[in-house]
Parts: sequence; C-alpha cells; structure tokens
Amino acid sequence: MLAIIETRKIFAGETEVAKIVFYVLALIVLVIFFVGVIRRLVVYNRGRRAPNFAWLRRRDPRDVPEVSERPTVPSSLVTIATNQTIIKTKHKVGVSHWLLFWGFIGLFLATSILSLDYDVLGNASRIITGHTYSFFQGPFYLAYNAVFDFAGLLALVGTVLLASRRWFSKEPQLDYTRAQKPESGYSRARIVIGDHVFVSGLLLILVTGLLIQGLRIDGEHFPSFEQWTWLGYLIGKGFAGLGVGAAAARAVHAWLWWVHVGLALAFVAYIPWSKAWHMLASPANLAVRDFSNVRRLPQPPADNAGYRSVDDLTPKELLGLDSCTKCGRCHVVCPARTGGAPLSPRDLILDLRQLADHKHGIPLLFDTETRPSPTGPMNEDGCLAGEVVVGETLWSCTTCMACVEICPVGIEHVPLIVQLRRTLVDQGAMDPTLQSALQNIATQGNSFGKSSRMRARWTKGLDFPIVDARTQHVEYLWFLGDFASFDERLMDISRTLATVLHANGISFGILFEEERNAGNDVRRVGEEGLFEMLVEQNMNAFAKASFDKIFTTDPHSFNTLRNEYPAFGLDRPVLHYSELLAKLLFTGKVAPGNLMRKVTYHDPCYLGRYNRIFEAPRAVISALGCDLVEMPRHGVNSFCCGAGGGRIWMDDSVLDERPSVNRIKEASTLDVDYFVVACPKDYAMFSDAVKTVGIEDKLKVVDIVELFAEATLSSALVDV
Amino acid sequence: MHIVVAMRQLADLVEELEVNGDGTDIDRDFVKFVSNEWDEAALEEALTIKDESAASVTVVALDEPDVDQTLYAALAKGADRAVKLTGHDPSAWVRTRERAQRIASFLAHEEFDLVLTGVQAADDLDGQLAGILGSTLDIPHAAVVVGVELTGSSLRVAQELGGGLVGVSELELPAVLGVQAARQAPRYASITRIRQAMQTQKIEEQEVSLEVTTPQVTVRRLYPPEKQGGATMLTGSAKDVATEIVNILRSKGLV
Ligand SMILES: Cc1cc2nc3c(=O)[nH]c(=O)nc-3n(C[C@H](O)[C@H](O)[C@H](O)COP(=O)(O)OP(=O)(O)OC[C@H]3O[C@@H](n4cnc5c(N)ncnc54)[C@H](O)[C@@H]3O)c2cc1C
Ligand code: SF4
Ligand code: SF4
Repeated sequence: MLAIIETRKIFAGETEVAKIVFYVLALIVLVIFFVGVIRRLVVYNRGRRAPNFAWLRRRDPRDVPEVSERPTVPSSLVTIATNQTIIKTKHKVGVSHWLLFWGFIGLFLATSILSLDYDVLGNASRIITGHTYSFFQGPFYLAYNAVFDFAGLLALVGTVLLASRRWFSKEPQLDYTRAQKPESGYSRARIVIGDHVFVSGLLLILVTGLLIQGLRIDGEHFPSFEQWTWLGYLIGKGFAGLGVGAAAARAVHAWLWWVHVGLALAFVAYIPWSKAWHMLASPANLAVRDFSNVRRLPQPPADNAGYRSVDDLTPKELLGLDSCTKCGRCHVVCPARTGGAPLSPRDLILDLRQLADHKHGIPLLFDTETRPSPTGPMNEDGCLAGEVVVGETLWSCTTCMACVEICPVGIEHVPLIVQLRRTLVDQGAMDPTLQSALQNIATQGNSFGKSSRMRARWTKGLDFPIVDARTQHVEYLWFLGDFASFDERLMDISRTLATVLHANGISFGILFEEERNAGNDVRRVGEEGLFEMLVEQNMNAFAKASFDKIFTTDPHSFNTLRNEYPAFGLDRPVLHYSELLAKLLFTGKVAPGNLMRKVTYHDPCYLGRYNRIFEAPRAVISALGCDLVEMPRHGVNSFCCGAGGGRIWMDDSVLDERPSVNRIKEASTLDVDYFVVACPKDYAMFSDAVKTVGIEDKLKVVDIVELFAEATLSSALVDV
Repeated sequence: MHIVVAMRQLADLVEELEVNGDGTDIDRDFVKFVSNEWDEAALEEALTIKDESAASVTVVALDEPDVDQTLYAALAKGADRAVKLTGHDPSAWVRTRERAQRIASFLAHEEFDLVLTGVQAADDLDGQLAGILGSTLDIPHAAVVVGVELTGSSLRVAQELGGGLVGVSELELPAVLGVQAARQAPRYASITRIRQAMQTQKIEEQEVSLEVTTPQVTVRRLYPPEKQGGATMLTGSAKDVATEIVNILRSKGLV
C-alpha cells in the first residue's frame, strides 16, 4: 500500500522541455535583474563623497532627539516593517500598502523556500547521494500552504485596494500636472502608464497565481490534505462549482501556469529598471535617512559653489531620488505649489531622477516625462540649477520642510534645493529685492539696510535700561533677530517681552549694535559665504559677552544658533522665548492667568517641524486661561506662512494666493478671535494676511508674549 | 578694448552722519564706507561690454576707507585688474578736481579705449569727474549716460536729457562717460567669490604725486539744513486722526 505523502509535484504537468525553457528564462531574468541592481549600486557608490561621508553618520550624544539625531537602524527597521511613514498621514493607503508589503514578502519567502528545496537541496542531494531529498512534504507542506495562502490573501486585498485607487481616485496627489509648466509643453503619459503597469502587473501575477493553485487542486480531484491550502482549495471548489472538471482544470492550468510564470519573471526583470525599484531603494533610503541634514545644512561641494551636474549628487541623494514613489504627498502639502508657484518637490525629484538615470546610462522604463524640445529633465548638458530646474522653481521654496516631513520614503528635498540655489547665487541669478537684502546684510548686518547702530533703538521708551551683555554678566543673552529689532510693528512686541522678563527678574542682556543677522535664511538662500561671515561676526560678539544661555525671538535664528552654530564653536544652550515663558509659568514664578480667550496657534516651521517645540507655546496658551482650538493643519503638519528660506526678501506678487492668506482662511473657519504667533516674521505676514482676507476685525493676530503680558502684568495690551 | 572704471568710496548714507568739530566735513571716524552706487552702475556697464566683446576691465580707485572691499568685489564680479592710487591722505575728503587729476595721471601711463565712472557721487553730488577727466585728457565726454553701444571704433551713447528726453550721440574712442544707469542692475558678487578674489588676486598699488595741484574750492561750513516749521504728528486711533484732519482742513477753509 502506498502511503499518502502530503505534497505536490513541482512542475506538475510540464514536460522536460518546458522545464528547461523555464530555467533558461529564469536565468536570463536573474541576469537582467542583477545587472540592473549592480549598475544602480555602482552609480550610488560613485556619487560625490564629502570628506565626512558615511552611509550611517555616527550618532553624537549631543544630538537632539527628533531634531538632529539620526534614527537608529533598529528603529528604522521598525518604521519600514510597520509602514509607519506611509500610514501616518494616509491611513487607508498605508494599511493597503502594509497588506501588499507583507503579503508579497510572504509570497517571496514561499517561492524562495520552494526553490531552496527543489533547486538547491534536490539537486545537491541528487548529485552527492544519488537520491533526491525534499522537505517540501508532510506537515511542513501543509503549514507552508496554510501560511502562505494567507500571505496571498493579504497581498490580494492590498493590491486590489491600491490598484483601484490608481484607477479611480481623483486625489490631487495622483495628478501629474506639473507645477512649473515649460513653454514647449510636456507629456507625462509614460509616467501614468508606468504606474498602471506596476500595480496592474502585481495584481495579475497574484490573481493568476491563485487561479493556478485552485486549478491544480481541482485537477488533482481535491486531495483532502489540500484543505490546508485553504485559499487554493476554495478557488478550486469555485471552479468545480462553475462546472470546470478535473481534466479541463488541468488543461487550463497548463497554459495559465505559463502566463503566471511569464508575468512573474518579467516583473523581476523589470524591477531595477522602473518605478518598482522603489521596493528596494525606499527601505534602504529610510534606513540611512538623516534629517539633521535639513536642520544643519551640508557644505557646498569642494570645487563648486553649489550643484551644477548630477556628478555633484552624493550617494545618499542618488538613492533618495530613486526612492521616490511619486506618491505626491509633498506636492500637495507644499505651500509654494499651493500658492501657485512653479515648484513641486515631487516634480523636482522626478526631474533630477530622470536626468540622473539618463546621464548614468540606465534606461528607465515608462517612468519618464517627454518634451518636444530638450528642456528640463531632457536637457542633458544643462546646468542643474537654472536650466534643468529653472530658477523660479528653486527660488519659490520657503524651506518649510513640509515635504521632508511627509515624504514616506525619507527624501531630503531641502538640502538639495539649497545646494542648487548656491549655484544661482554664485551666478548672481536672483530677484533684485533678494540681492539688495543680501547686500544690506553684508554691509550693515541686517536685511533692513539700517545702520547697525539702530539695532537697539527699540529699547527707547522702556522705563528700565537693557543690560549690555558685553559689559555685564547675564544669565540669558537675548538674540532678537532683524525683524524684532527693526520692524516698527514688532519693536512694540520686543518691548513687551523685555517688560515681562524685567518684571519677573530674569537676568538678560543684548549685544546692541554687534548682533548680526544670524544667517539662517541667508544660508537657505544659498549664500554660504555670507552665512559664514555672519557666523564669524556673531561668534566674535558672543566672545565679548558674558552669558550662560541664549534665547531668541526668531525661530529662524533659533534654528541656526541651536543646530548650526555649534559646528563653529557655540557651546551654550539655545532656547526660544516661548520656552522661557513656559518656564516662568511652570516654575511658579508667574501665576497662571484667566484670559478666557478663544485662540488658535500657528506653529512656525522653524520652531515646530524643525525643532520639535510644539508643547511650550501650547502650555503657555492654556496656562494663561485661553481656550486653544487647533487648526486642521497643526503640529508637524503646520502650514508655512510663506516667509522662510529668504522668501520674505522676494517678490510674492506672482503667487495666486499667498500661503499666509491660505492659512488665515483656514483659521477663519474656526470659532476663534485670536491667531497666536510665536515668530516675528509670522506676525508681519499674518497681520498683512488678515487685512487681505478682510477679517482684521474678526481675527486678531497676537504674539504669545502679548497674551502673556496681558494676563500677568494686568496691562490691557490686547484689545478686541 | 580696454575699459577703465573709476570708482570711489563714500560714507554709507544709512548711517547717522555727523559734522566734525571744525564744521567743514562729516565726522569720518565712526561711519562705514561703501562704494558709490553710480560707480557700481559704471562697473556693471563695463562688465556687460566685456561679456559681449571680450574687453578687459581695470578698476581704479583712490585709497579711501574700505576701498579694498570694493576693489575685490569688482574683481569677483569679473574685472581683470584693480589699481589703488595712493599718495594722498586716505582719511580726508578729496575734492573732484584733485580726484580727476590723480586719476588722469594714472591714465597717462595706460592705453585705454574707454573710461567709465558714475555720473555723480551720492555724497557731494558734484557730477564733474567725467567732465574734468575728459577735458584733462582731451578726449570726448558725455554725462548722464543710460546706454552704451560699441560700433567699431566709435561709441554710441544714450543720455538722459532734461524734460524726459533721451539723446543719442556718437563719440570717437577713447572717450570718458559719466554713467547714470547700466543696461541691467549691478550683478551680485557672492561673499565666497569675493573671498576667493582676496586669496587669488592682488590689488596693484600706485603712488601718485602731484607736482602742482589745481586750485580747489575750500569748504567753509558744512551743516544739516536748519529746521523750518516742521510737521505736526497726529496721534491716536485712526478715527481720532481722521477727525483731527477734517478739523484742520475745515479751520483752514479748505473743505
Ligand atoms: C552730472 C550732472 C548732474 C547735474 N544735475 C543737475 C541737477 O540735478 N539740477 C540742476 O539744476 N543742474 C544740474 N546739473 C547742472 C546743469 O545741468 C548744467 O550744468 C547747466 O544746466 C548748464 O547747462 P548746459 O549743460 O546746457 O550748459 P553748458 O553748455 O555747460 O553751458 C554753461 C553756461 O554757458 C552758457 N553758454 C553756453 N553756450 C553759450 C553760448 N554759445 N553763448 C553764451 N553762453 C553760452 C550757458 O548759458 C550756461 O550758462 C548737473 C550737471 C551734471 C554734469
Ligand atoms: S520645503 Fe516647503 S516650500 Fe520647499 S519644496 Fe518643501 S514643501 Fe515646498
Ligand atoms: S518625494 Fe516623497 S513625498 Fe514626494 S512624491 Fe516622492 S515619495 Fe512622495
């Protein structure tokens, strides 16, 4: 009697010739796949390496968690495994992707185990012992089928959900219309085809795979142990129910098997030459991502002022370009794109990737834009800054970091944009208003073009003297920044902050005429030399002064002092005034207030997203007795006021809608009377925006210290 | 084609200027010096011509506070050579006639086709340097130039005339022009480029000693305009201010 061995024949109905054909095809496919993989790896490896280059930067104990700290590899693996970055802003899409992700990993494992058993163990044992061994039987076989059928189901559900989104969804992120429209016109039809080929291809592979499983079981007359292969068994029963008998099932199986195998092999070959490469590039990019690069910008390349050609891109930047899945999330959140500026971070990445692949001789299947004339990504010999990516695109960026924050695969757009801007600055290709701001900063040390001796003019009218930190020791050195020092509207707020600190006995002083623009935005404009000069000047001024800590009014100055100055020798803690106010309240120095105001709060990009200070200002607002109503976009998702990255020095009249106006409209849908800010530039931008929207009598822009003063100094500084 | 651009330093007008003890000059000790903006336009025009027709550009300036900064910036922007003239008191106010004499004595040893300088300087508003240079060197001169076009050995210039007219004239080379505006806004020299120029290029120094100086005007008194009357600032809310304005207009019988 023959014992029933629970297994199935590999290559069931196929002839020896078919087997050979399969192995030859598989070999060809593997060659195509590995040639593609190796070429890409070689390209990354040849990227420009800065002297301190490392795929994984050494973690420094002084790094601030979530700000300048690089995620650990284990934490990145968790991020990758959980698809957390995909799920966090789009739950349905993220969960679908997670199903597909793990489903396919399961199916890949299944195929690998099978190949290990049949091709490796089987062949090796036959050659060595003359007897073919296999573990693909018995309980292992049953468990294998039960588990991997489950993976198949996950993959099927995930893929169907994602494919139907591609087919039917009208979401703006899936629309490939460019933000910057070239005069010559362009077509992205191939990119769209690429998306469909990818997701529909996956779906077809899955469906044919499940069908052949069902047909096989049907063709074998439903052996009872195959119930463990539950999904295939059910599908087989389905076929039987439709009247497909065993013989018919075997016949269909014979050719459907080839369809399945053909598709699967073609897909493997297609991976490194297409959008599918993100399957490998994106997790790798997530593992090496290091957002300290955004807070602390990298140096320009050694031999150029900025990026000019794809040879300037670093290995990590090249990998980043390849990781983009065109999910379009950055495109949607970008304040420049929202305002009608010719910038979309997605388009920037796609243009650079297309050009890089072309330059590196890697044919990219489908995923390319075509144009009637060789401009943009088709401009092979063009300078990256100004020609491949046009100047207006680069100048539109507010460096708000929203793109970096939302990108599910960890691409760092902002440092790239700044590297490209550096070339434009070197060529002098910039807005005349920006040019004069830079000239003012170079000569007077402030963007207002006022004499540096006017810097402390705001102190006039205070009934107490402000200490000169260069002549007397203070606990806090107050770094005001240009707006808080020179802008008439903001000088009042500076006086209010001084009054609050004075009233609470805080020891603080200023640098008077020796404070210079801190250089955060100068650096982000791409004027690296001027930034270095400003750092030198400020560091000299710090050296003359005696203080324990620094606090700033301006979140932009805060960012560079906190994250960039330490590389130039600054070794004192840096705080933002909202943190100082929170401290006053929570150390019991100041009694909480009872303002009973309905307010909303705007997170400044450089305080929130950049430096992760979300709680201090909120704690102050609630301790003052205000009822805080959050805007839909708050915290890490806050929407930029449009002033950052030097945009405040450039012409905004080309925009359809200023980001600040968009923001005020968002706030106006809430039932609040106050729009609280913690940044001088925000105050300036939003005070204008409420006027533009025409709701200055309904929504009042106030600085957080004005509320603080009103609640704790009992002086009615804010009136409705 | 060799173009010489004469540039000069002057007190940064964003500073609060003060009259010195003698009452004959501004107090030069505490002000910052910057280059004259019309000279920057002259430099830009020279560099634009260079971009078009492979000219070489020399910038020349008298030794004055922070002049090196201006000369290095000119080199960074694309000038080929920078010359600093010494032999005078670098901290004093050099009047235009003497300045012209010094520059002319430098030009006497130079082969040049065109001299460009700003139409005037933002401090003394003299507007005479180009004219005096032209007459000293005995070459054609045009002032308030807003456009330059090279046509072989001659030069076509557009000048801004009174009444909003533009006059186009032709001059033989060599010539000297007082530039009101270049064809484009002065280009930007990044600090990195300026610093590179400082490391890789040298400023030539030439001493100029004048045997006889031409008669100069002497400043007898320098003073800020005396206040006359002055405006009344209205304070209060927008509503109060508006009411006040209406009252004033009524009281004067204007409405
Ligand atoms: C750069 C620059 C900027 C200036 N800016 C201003 C300004 O902002 N405001 C202002 O008021 N002035 C200004 N001037 C001065 C002024 O424009 C002229 O110097 C003045 O108007 C003389 O005019 P002109 O050039 O036609 O005279 P010129 O031809 O130089 O003649 C000078 C004098 O000689 C007389 N004259 C000329 N030809 C004859 C003749 N054939 N017979 C008899 N007399 C003759 C004229 O009547 C005149 O009095 C500026 C000058 C320069 C160079
Ligand atoms: S940083 Fe902000 S403005 Fe710049 S590309 Fe990213 S989202 Fe757009
Ligand atoms: S850059 Fe990132 S966020 Fe933008 S489209 Fe690509 S993957 Fe999506």
